[in-house]
Amino acid sequence: MGEIAEVLIIGAGASGAVAAKHLAEAGVGVVCLEQGREVSSDEFYGDKPEWELMSQRLWHPNPNVRGLATDYPIDTSESDVNPLMFAGVGGSTLIYAAHWQRFMPSDFRVRSLDGVADDWPFTYQDLEPFYDHMDVEMGVSGLAGDPAYPPMTPPPLPPLPIGRIGRLAAKGMNELGWHWWPAPQAIPSRAYRGRSQCARRGTCMQGCPEQAKASTDLTHWPDAIAHGAQLITGARVREITVNAQGLASGAIWIDRDGVEHHQRAEKVIVCANGVGTPRLLLLSGGDRFAGGLANSSGLVGRNLMMHPYAATVGYFDEPLDSWLGPAGQAIHSMQFYETDKSRGFVRGAKWNAMPTGGPLGMRSAYGGAPLEEAWGENLHRATQKRFGHSFEWGIIAEDLPDPENRVVLDDSLTDTDGIPSPKIIYRNSDNTEKLIAFHLDRQREAMEAAGAKSISTTTLMRDCGWHLMGTCRMGNDPETSVLDQWGTSHDVPNLHVLDGSTFVTSSGFNPTATICAIALRSVMHMIETRADQRVAS
Amino acid sequence: MNALSDTRRAALNAIGDVLIPAALGMPRFTDAGDVDAMVDHVLALRPELTGSLNQALDRVGAGEAAAAAAERLNREDPDGLATIGLVASSAYYMMPEVRQIMGYRGQEQRPATVDEEHDYMRDNLLQPVIDRGPIYRDPDSG
Repeated sequence: MGEIAEVLIIGAGASGAVAAKHLAEAGVGVVCLEQGREVSSDEFYGDKPEWELMSQRLWHPNPNVRGLATDYPIDTSESDVNPLMFAGVGGSTLIYAAHWQRFMPSDFRVRSLDGVADDWPFTYQDLEPFYDHMDVEMGVSGLAGDPAYPPMTPPPLPPLPIGRIGRLAAKGMNELGWHWWPAPQAIPSRAYRGRSQCARRGTCMQGCPEQAKASTDLTHWPDAIAHGAQLITGARVREITVNAQGLASGAIWIDRDGVEHHQRAEKVIVCANGVGTPRLLLLSGGDRFAGGLANSSGLVGRNLMMHPYAATVGYFDEPLDSWLGPAGQAIHSMQFYETDKSRGFVRGAKWNAMPTGGPLGMRSAYGGAPLEEAWGENLHRATQKRFGHSFEWGIIAEDLPDPENRVVLDDSLTDTDGIPSPKIIYRNSDNTEKLIAFHLDRQREAMEAAGAKSISTTTLMRDCGWHLMGTCRMGNDPETSVLDQWGTSHDVPNLHVLDGSTFVTSSGFNPTATICAIALRSVMHMIETRADQRVAS
Repeated sequence: MNALSDTRRAALNAIGDVLIPAALGMPRFTDAGDVDAMVDHVLALRPELTGSLNQALDRVGAGEAAAAAAERLNREDPDGLATIGLVASSAYYMMPEVRQIMGYRGQEQRPATVDEEHDYMRDNLLQPVIDRGPIYRDPDSG
């Protein structure tokens, strides 16, 4: 690797893929280092009888459960929530549910409106054209006109059917006069740009065997590579290097034979997610940047937000085919999204009505309960009650930034290359707990209105940290933020971050649409201003 | 492939029948078809389960009644009992005979038809939401 890349991207997931495609199409020389590998759709088990069995290990979203060499272990001993992710070409989009949600206009003005957290350095209107663009690139299916949002450009594909569970959930919401809408999803309701129509297998979160769901290995990497981007897999970065001028000059990475390389670059973009990115910055900088690269604010790794997830399951007499996909959401609701201070907390949550999967469920989780409770005749009773006869209302609870919730380097844990692992220190706030309690009460009412014969709730799912945000926040003030509004480090002008680390607040929405829109906005700005930028030589 | 010794397999099948008995129209574990082959298949796909499964099965005393062994394991080694339950139920719910009774063909392909797409518009299910109008909060007006 003697050549100097114009742009080095670290991480080939959602934001890295968006950056690589657009930079390469603009004629910029791109090298991307990805610690994982390419995954073929025939490796997924969604079209095989073993789907549920393998979802509990090989395709589990928690890297500590998978235990693959391509993952790095994470110390979660001081966290209420486990962070979830996947390392590979396409990153966590390989196993996300593809809820394709925009943030609300109010999400960008939380300090102004509710007196908490901070405002973003740009508005919904600034981001809107990039949301529109990403809808087309991903092939979003949805129904225009959702009154929970300002008027917007319709998505390119018609909505997926809401199915029996969506209709039942909707009837309950109508009984109560509450908002619902067919959910937007990055899953094609028609064949789209080389991808298949969704087959509704309902296995989105363990990889789509149909090559339908919009994961960036399918939506972006082929174009990026066709335009000259070089993608190197099995490349684990241990440090971003810095030159005598204090500019990022590349990265040291280790191949799968243990050989170390130095990829030099004029510019470095980190897209390693809200845990991996601060980990790498904290590992970098040397003596010149004590405390980590780009960390003069001391905020690298801080303000971690992970969206605590709670849920209500309703059980019904009628057959609902509730193993049918898409797995993510049939309908959503923003009835209780915005702040109402009379509830005793600020901010809110999106709800998503979801199927409940196959017959196996989580049998391994029953150890220690009275035997007759989980097994024997009750096994059949519980399975018949849930399987095909239930759906879930989930809560994406807005998580406010708290500097004490953070990613740090672990003292002893390492990955297979001996690089220190991240440790997560994260506690739910009082606001979050009140928010979840309120929403669970409302969901119980929604389930009763839908005619549920019985209801169960989960107050906090530990394996729910899909959304990794806030650990390199954007802002206008270098003392209170790590990055400017374009994802550029305040400290190192040719170092950029484009993943969920950039978020100022978390919203109550699944973040991938916003991660991609922000990445696109930042990259387009980078392309427009490339002649004016300082780069390492 | 024979993933388990005869003794361990006998213990697994006996406890499997306690955990998954014939009831509510469903067969017991060992009547669900060739569960021995399916258990081997489970362990081939999830080899990390074999060690803890063997350990748990080795705790079953010779001649100990399966129901009593299951109760005792659940008290003394709940993780071990959970592993036995996971292996048995994973195999059970993959058996074609069981799936047929349940009316479950696996996570099947069922692409949507155009008729399904907008059914909520045709029967006006969505109309009340539309009629209530916008609910978003405009930051400029608070």
